[in-house]
Amino acid sequence: MTISRRVFVKSGGLAMVSLGLDPLFLARAAFAATRLGAHASTGPVLVCLFQRGAVDGLNMIVPHGDRIYYDERPRIAIPARDVVNLDGYFGLHPSLAALKPLWDNKSLAIIHAAGSPDSTRSHFDAQDYMESGTPGRKATPDGWLNRYCEHDRDHLATPFRAVAFGPRLPRILAGTAPSLAIQDLQAFGLRAPEPARDRLTGAFEQLYAGAATGLLASSSQEAFEAIQLLKRVNPTQYQPAGGAVYPRGRLGTAMLQIAQLLKANVGLRVAFAEVAGWDTHVNQGASDGQLAARLADLGQALAAFAQDLGDGMRDVVVLTMSEFGRTIRENGSRGTDHGHATAMMALGGPVNGGKVLGRWPGLDPAQRFEGRDVAVTTDFRDLFGEVLASHMRATDLSAIFPGFTPDPRRFPGVVTV
Amino acid sequence: MSSRLVVGILSALLAPLNRGAPPLPPRPGALTPHDSALHALNRLAYGPRPGEADRVATTGVMRWIDRQLDPAHIDDAALSARERQIGVLSYDRTALARIYYAAQRERRERMRAGADSMGGQINPGPGQRLGRRLAGDLASLVVVRATLSERQLAEVMADFWANHFNVFFGKGADRFLLPEYIEHTIRPYALGRFADLLRGTAQSPAMLVYLDNWQSVAPRSGTARALKPRGINENYARELLELHTLGVDGGYTQQDVIGVARIFTGWSIQRPQKGGAFRFYGRAHDRGEKIVMGVRYPAGGGMDEGFRLLDWLAENPVTMRHVSHQLCARFVSDQPPDGCVDDAVAAWQRTHGDIREVLRAIFHGPDFWAAENVLAKVKSPLEFVVSAVRALGAGPDTTARLAQVVARLGQPLYLHVAPDGYPEKQSDWVNSGALLNRMNAGIALAAATLPGVTVNLDLAVPATPNLEQLLATVDDRVLGGAMTANTRRVILEQLHALDDPVQARALAVGLALGGPEFQRQ
Repeated sequence: MTISRRVFVKSGGLAMVSLGLDPLFLARAAFAATRLGAHASTGPVLVCLFQRGAVDGLNMIVPHGDRIYYDERPRIAIPARDVVNLDGYFGLHPSLAALKPLWDNKSLAIIHAAGSPDSTRSHFDAQDYMESGTPGRKATPDGWLNRYCEHDRDHLATPFRAVAFGPRLPRILAGTAPSLAIQDLQAFGLRAPEPARDRLTGAFEQLYAGAATGLLASSSQEAFEAIQLLKRVNPTQYQPAGGAVYPRGRLGTAMLQIAQLLKANVGLRVAFAEVAGWDTHVNQGASDGQLAARLADLGQALAAFAQDLGDGMRDVVVLTMSEFGRTIRENGSRGTDHGHATAMMALGGPVNGGKVLGRWPGLDPAQRFEGRDVAVTTDFRDLFGEVLASHMRATDLSAIFPGFTPDPRRFPGVVTV
Repeated sequence: MSSRLVVGILSALLAPLNRGAPPLPPRPGALTPHDSALHALNRLAYGPRPGEADRVATTGVMRWIDRQLDPAHIDDAALSARERQIGVLSYDRTALARIYYAAQRERRERMRAGADSMGGQINPGPGQRLGRRLAGDLASLVVVRATLSERQLAEVMADFWANHFNVFFGKGADRFLLPEYIEHTIRPYALGRFADLLRGTAQSPAMLVYLDNWQSVAPRSGTARALKPRGINENYARELLELHTLGVDGGYTQQDVIGVARIFTGWSIQRPQKGGAFRFYGRAHDRGEKIVMGVRYPAGGGMDEGFRLLDWLAENPVTMRHVSHQLCARFVSDQPPDGCVDDAVAAWQRTHGDIREVLRAIFHGPDFWAAENVLAKVKSPLEFVVSAVRALGAGPDTTARLAQVVARLGQPLYLHVAPDGYPEKQSDWVNSGALLNRMNAGIALAAATLPGVTVNLDLAVPATPNLEQLLATVDDRVLGGAMTANTRRVILEQLHALDDPVQARALAVGLALGGPEFQRQ
């Protein structure tokens, strides 16, 4: 168990004990000073955004310079005239037009042909692997983001260090490092109208302070600290900066609340959001339609987030991911079936942007995976590993991706060094 | 930030320190009959109902335990009547398959017609609604049975095995295969022989789909089935060794995993659209010789070699120790002492894996009753919700909403994605967000606003203007006498601000349910 380590990290070292002062008191005071000081505002931040259901990478980041793309998708290809051109060969789906300025200012990079070395086409297995960080191995108990938190040496002692927006903690954050699942910042805490809420919070705080032991004690204390910190954030009164308008819906709300926590300096380092609806087997549409609507939501949420944070994007990397891609050829229902590689996006100040990274295997049948899908040329662990090592200052990637030997020569080059 | 706020936060942080170290829970040398009854009800059951601890103490706790180990002789008519109202139990696998595929067709047609780009997620059709209702039934059955059954230990063990042999409801055909799996593969053997569970799960369509074995075929076996399988699939083989039997350090190699996978080639199912019953396809089976952990399976063994392997695993001392350890972690302590595991293994050896006798050995051992193991485990979300409902003498309503409460508290039933099942250790359940959710649920249940439950507090905790008496009842009924002096003082302080006895009662019960003592068992 990690209690002892957590206490140690919180106390910022045990040197103070030798001064003969009450170590717990000092630890607490030091902890409070750290949390409330300027320290919290500096430090790298990673936001992971999972597109659950396997996004069609080829209609998201369109190889409009490739004849084969149009031959294989007579009814659902994005017409070249609609594509937002990036580099002459690739372009954005028109619904992602809001991201073009970020490409132009070099804070958006695309990693195409990324994915898992495992060949499964099961959503369930592939999501599991992408979150556990151990493709092919199902019994891994924890997720790679949690293992990062566990091995991160200089993290802050704050209940908001790792936050997932959703009804429960996702696999990617499962594990021994404390992390928070929040459905809605406005609803975090005791549910009662004021002033009853304050009384109730105070009563529970006293109950736990007086009778809880072990993990119940430390976790409840974190909970009440989080409530205190959130009071400062005042989530109901938030106004996005720079005229940013987040799209309505779960993704927009999650991105807004991540921005809010970042600006409130509560020590957020790792955030996770997810958005479903990418499993477009039927009538996926082209420039308009089902996929276009999902992409518009995604593009607007990311653009609003970047606009809202403004200079704050300096320390932030947003990484999109999806369990696999979809077939190169459209199917009989104007949709696409489960494929292999997909495209991922990296957004933020530290990103080596304005580029499509990774080796593009091409759409030629001879280059395909199992004769039908885009081949994976960037193992997702090389992409995630690079972001953790170069941006998040992880020192030991082999502990975060067990069984994998990270090699900087295989990194796609997504972070500016 | 204002300096007042800083001071406020600092004093809030420092306040607990002024009260000195938290008191240790009481550690009596030997348990009183009442405390023994409570301990047994906390571990072998989902907590006591009003007055139940006294009744068990009067009967004699060991007699009560023996009765629980023999559930066939416990009358459970009230639960049976309730079960008959739950729709999903009246459909068999084939009928459920029909409903599932009809709902899928409906979804596709609605999408194709462009009527609903989200495939009925917002506005489901009648087939989809039926499918969803039956899915809800499955989860609510767990909560209903855990709350109402008189055969409490059997319910605890059904949960244990469903978790040990976890199948994720959301994986493809498992949406309609799971009811049969739970009702016919797991539940009848909850207190039976381990070998039967192992054979049953190995042949169950639900497990074959969940861990992909249905697609595992001998290389070049020449079958042309719908999904064009390409060779062996090791998923089931690996989890069978790692999770179901030997354990992760069970001494097997990758070559052994491959050997096991080859033994189970051809263990598959009929087309899911036709109901997906178990089938052994001889053509897909690897007929070659296999060697698994030094045991030779000669060429041409067919399906029998699978049974030979399963029985060998069930009787393997490494399996006995692994599974006994898990049972002791469930019933005794997250980190069970070697002694109780040894006792369980000895009983397993003696009875060839008769789980009833393995459990009896655990319940008769000194570790089960040791003071340091009493109230030493934190309740899982399911245990928390069900024990709270039982403590108040309340019951689930006819909807799936109470199961949804369990899900919101972090344990969506049959929806654990990974094959390891829900964890048993407190570190996996206790975190800040989860505790706040439990506090909210406790307050809501006491205020009779928790969805999915009908509660009448008059049964367990009558309202009274006498606060001392109210607190004594709450201590007895909700906390089993474990209320600390601090908890008593804090609740009393809160009650002084209220003059309505009904409100005071709701607050006292809510604080007790959401407070630290009630999180333990």
